[in-house]
Amino acid sequence: MEETIKIFTGHGYWTPLIWTLAALGVLILAILLWSRGRREYKRGTEQELPFLSGEKAENPRVGAPHLYWGFVEALRPFLSPLRDWHSGLINDYAAWFLVVLGVALLLLVV
Amino acid sequence: MSVHAPILAIAVPLLGGFAVPLLARLHRKVRDLWVLLVVLFVGVCVGYVAAHVFTQGIWVYVLGAKNPQETLAPGGFPIRIMLTVDAMSAFMGLIAGFIALVAFPFALKYIPEEEGKTLSLTLGILLLAGILGMAYTGDLFNFFVFLEVTSIAACGIIGFRTWTSRAPEAAFKSMLLFSVSGLFFLLGVALLYGEYGALNLAYVSAQIRGSVVDRLSLALFLAGLLMKAAAAPVHFWAPDAYGEAPAAKALLLVVNTQVSLYGLWRVLFTLYGGLSDAGVGWLVVSLGLLTMVVAALMALVQTDLGRLVAYGAVSQIGYMMLGVGVGLVALSGRPDYGFVAMQGGVFHMLNDALTVGLLFLCVGAVEWAKGTRDLRALGGLGHGLPEVALAFLLASLALAGIPPLNGFASKILIYEGSFRLSPILTAIAVLCSILLLAVFARAFQGAFLGPRGEVEGKIPWVFLLSIGLLVVGILVLGLVPGFFVEEIVTPAAKALWQGRALYLAAVLGG
Repeated sequence: MEETIKIFTGHGYWTPLIWTLAALGVLILAILLWSRGRREYKRGTEQELPFLSGEKAENPRVGAPHLYWGFVEALRPFLSPLRDWHSGLINDYAAWFLVVLGVALLLLVV
Repeated sequence: MSVHAPILAIAVPLLGGFAVPLLARLHRKVRDLWVLLVVLFVGVCVGYVAAHVFTQGIWVYVLGAKNPQETLAPGGFPIRIMLTVDAMSAFMGLIAGFIALVAFPFALKYIPEEEGKTLSLTLGILLLAGILGMAYTGDLFNFFVFLEVTSIAACGIIGFRTWTSRAPEAAFKSMLLFSVSGLFFLLGVALLYGEYGALNLAYVSAQIRGSVVDRLSLALFLAGLLMKAAAAPVHFWAPDAYGEAPAAKALLLVVNTQVSLYGLWRVLFTLYGGLSDAGVGWLVVSLGLLTMVVAALMALVQTDLGRLVAYGAVSQIGYMMLGVGVGLVALSGRPDYGFVAMQGGVFHMLNDALTVGLLFLCVGAVEWAKGTRDLRALGGLGHGLPEVALAFLLASLALAGIPPLNGFASKILIYEGSFRLSPILTAIAVLCSILLLAVFARAFQGAFLGPRGEVEGKIPWVFLLSIGLLVVGILVLGLVPGFFVEEIVTPAAKALWQGRALYLAAVLGG
């Protein structure tokens, strides 16, 4: 039975059984904490509306592009050249194929 | 009939695909039933072939001989067309068969009649036939033929939505790049044929001595197959292709990429196995790292859910290349860590097919319900599509390699194997996984969380069936990885790692 679960990695082994049991323990703890929370919450009422600086926004959704905005901005110096690299031009793409072929030829033939 | 299972797995979809438009003229339900029967038959065939190969060894099937096991023609020369199915080929066939069983029922409901459903199904079945042909063939020229079959069918699927502007453009780019890579591959085959007068993979492999022509051919094979496998910096076609193809068919395109990677392994380990070259291994490892870094970073800035998943799929190609590339670097000394990395790389092919497949089906379900994949317009779908949201979350976590899911099981083998070669490789791979977790957390938040989003109608039960099958696959592979690693991954990795002599002996005798 143990052999069907365990995989050997060279250094040791990985078994999802222990990890799953630990995760279940954490889940039970989380449920216990949650069950001790406040009970005034009611579905479908104003309580469901997000609090945005005290204003009731019509579409209070935080879209995916806004998530990690700062993180993405910090990566901009790396991302901009990458986006330029994906130019959409077939000539560029074919040229990169020639580059890979050239590297392979250098490595194997020259 | 079971004696002919390898060829039936290819011939039935090849002929069955062309029968689809004819049967559609009788009745749509007859066509749909036929498609399901063909896919089911292929599933049974690849399952039978895999069971046979994993228990009894390499299965050689010769066409045109009185006895399908008669590999050598009079004179002792393997001149006939031949299928040579070892554990790695059978493993690849299993992936293709399973994904087809999931993708086609989904496609039957997903693609509207007025959008040319019949042609789409035909192309899908032909793509499946080409994939299985590439996996099973033991002949270099036939490999090229099936490579072209997959290219043509794939381009048809990519550009299927001709009424949009982006799909035909993506198909045009893919067609051009596939043609270039296919022609360079053919040139490599022609050079070897000119040198040895043979096309049989085992025979040519036995003859190769490392001449300039041999090395020139290898460079051509490498460039051609890396392009088709969507490795950076020749991956550009893949995000467009995956993103523009109907979601139900994007799964098959992922398997199409994987089978090109399989072709690369076959060339490097079996055809040129006697010339194990650490330099080629390092090239594969370097391009693998480049692929995962570039794709993960590009996924971060996507606003189209389909393209985001497409970049996620490309990044996973990098992990497979890293795992098997480490094995290639270590091939001459054959240390244990090389084999562990290869096990991880091979296992990741199966895990990738399931996780990326599930993500594409979820994208399809979202598009079905909302009519868009634009993350700026989506949101709050978790209220109306709870099953799809949970499946997307599960697949995202698996793709990012979060334990105890299947993606982690294969990635830990890659991490530990590559760590012994250089800790820097592992560090980059782990960082990319963290980046992918951030990318998919963002996608999940954008599409499924937030105030309730309006959903048009209910998700058809057949969508949930296909999604459910992949969810079960991900959970089973994640929770009992030992069984699958032992029974199918290890034999497949061994077939590459040390199976060359057996492969040659199965065809040439001795």
